[in-house]
Amino acid sequence: MTSLTAGTWHRLHPLSPLVRAGRQFTAVVIVLFTIALANQRQERGDLIGDIVVVVVVLAGGVVSWLVTRWQVADGVLRIDTGLVRRDSRRFPLSQVQAIDVVQTGLARVLGLAELRLRVVGGDASRGARLACLSVADAKRVRQQLLTMAGTTAPAAAAPAAASLSDPGRDATVAVAARELFRVRPERLAVAVLLSPTGAVTAVTIAVIAAIAAAGLPGVASSLTAVALGAVLGTWRQFNSEYGTAVAAGPDGLQLRSGLVQTAAETIRPGRVQGVRLVEPLLWRAFGWCRVEVDVAGPSQRGENRTQARRLRALVPVGTRREAEDMITELLGARPVPSLRPPRRARWKAPLSYHFLGFGADDRYVVAARGRICRQTTWVPLEKVQSVRWVQGPLQRRLTLTSVHLDVAGRRVSASIEDRDAAEAADLFGRLPDLARAARARSA
Amino acid sequence: MTADPGDAVDWRRPSPLLLRARRIQVGITAIPLAFIGGLAAQTVSAWLGIGIAIVVIVVAVATERFLARRVAAWGYAERHQDLMIRRGVLVRRQSVIPYGRMQFIDVTAGPIERSLGLATLRMHTAAAASDARIPGLHRDVAAALRDQLAALGEAQATGL
Repeated sequence: MTSLTAGTWHRLHPLSPLVRAGRQFTAVVIVLFTIALANQRQERGDLIGDIVVVVVVLAGGVVSWLVTRWQVADGVLRIDTGLVRRDSRRFPLSQVQAIDVVQTGLARVLGLAELRLRVVGGDASRGARLACLSVADAKRVRQQLLTMAGTTAPAAAAPAAASLSDPGRDATVAVAARELFRVRPERLAVAVLLSPTGAVTAVTIAVIAAIAAAGLPGVASSLTAVALGAVLGTWRQFNSEYGTAVAAGPDGLQLRSGLVQTAAETIRPGRVQGVRLVEPLLWRAFGWCRVEVDVAGPSQRGENRTQARRLRALVPVGTRREAEDMITELLGARPVPSLRPPRRARWKAPLSYHFLGFGADDRYVVAARGRICRQTTWVPLEKVQSVRWVQGPLQRRLTLTSVHLDVAGRRVSASIEDRDAAEAADLFGRLPDLARAARARSA
Repeated sequence: MTADPGDAVDWRRPSPLLLRARRIQVGITAIPLAFIGGLAAQTVSAWLGIGIAIVVIVVAVATERFLARRVAAWGYAERHQDLMIRRGVLVRRQSVIPYGRMQFIDVTAGPIERSLGLATLRMHTAAAASDARIPGLHRDVAAALRDQLAALGEAQATGL
């Protein structure tokens, strides 16, 4: 058992190399499996070669486990690692913002968990990482570290730091939380299959099946890799959105999701930069939609690039009513995109004209666009970073103009498309002032 | 007639040397391209080689005609609370960036710009889409503007 007496050196859990090598390990197993399937008369030498690769990866993990140790002394967490190039990192506990307990799929099977410490003002790569401890240890160490860190954010950590979330905390405040939404698994399964990713996957598999049926198994098997990728993408979406539950807690919305790899996050109300309601073509038949939020702050470690680019889905799929309720919870009273563009905008946007529109009050601007995938974006005026006025050649012919409001983060902007040029000029003149007024009010 | 919100604004322009910088850029891409393209094609036939070289030169000259308008389209205005930038001929754009939203400001100068004493000022906000820059400022103007914007930004800074 791990106890945090000052100055004692600790090791990570002996099974952690297995978890850390988990991703590569799974990949190697899949590759082995495919090779074995594709080429049944495989030379024994190749197989031995593959096994050697697995052994080397594991051995590397074991060596790294052997040379890694950590201690807590004088309010500083110190992690030493490295065989050839020794690496010793210190993390003053007073600067720790949040400590997350994260479990990947393999770690859950083995009863292990990873501790991630988020540090003031740094990007995620500067955070400390203890991978892995047993779940009980991880929870206790987290509690002890938090106590040592004084739990509350230090004064130096002012506004930027206060915006970091503390997913682990929801365990303690779960009683006070009021559940707002829980995704229905069967609906999510259907919705993922009907989403663009799912549809592409289905078509790919159908094409391959057709090719195989047409008596060209060689071609079909060479396309299996493509299908595998598509299936994995679909699976990843399902996996990350399965069991999404949103509850209103004392310090914001608590979001929990994940089937194999679970994640927990707290979204503070002041951090929301934009809210988006998405209604893909196939979902509209069922009256389903999706609510995503854009949240400022560094992306978490372990998020890959696609995850980082995707917005947080608060409602991965839900009825129109559930979505409306969630948006009301986030924004309160809000404008609707009821102001239509002039009829001549049809010539410039023949498809999306159907849904184009915008609305504004003194707190939010909302803009709708898209025909196949209808998107309605709300942006708080106080979060607007810049306002852009754009007029393309065709728009100039039709005396139309678009105005975009940019907010921080992952390329979310409210695009007020194809307004009459005079109206756009007026908007472009007034929006910066409205935004300034909203900022002054919130400050 | 198009309603242009920039009509009433008192625009300041980049240095006239920007046009020369852009011309040099076109020149040093086009001339070697014409030369190499011509040489490569003359292995097929001498006339083809000459033809390709001429086409490249004609395209470069056409671009050069367009350059003057593009350079003339750039403009910026320091307003009371924000900076306004306009650019573009075919697709015209104007942006308003509040001073308080600027996170940091870069002054960069490539080799051609440097040889003419020019620099590009680039303003970064937390939004990736903002993309605010002013090319072809005289080096001293750029430095002065940078300091001024930084001071204004500090005075009006707001959190996310």
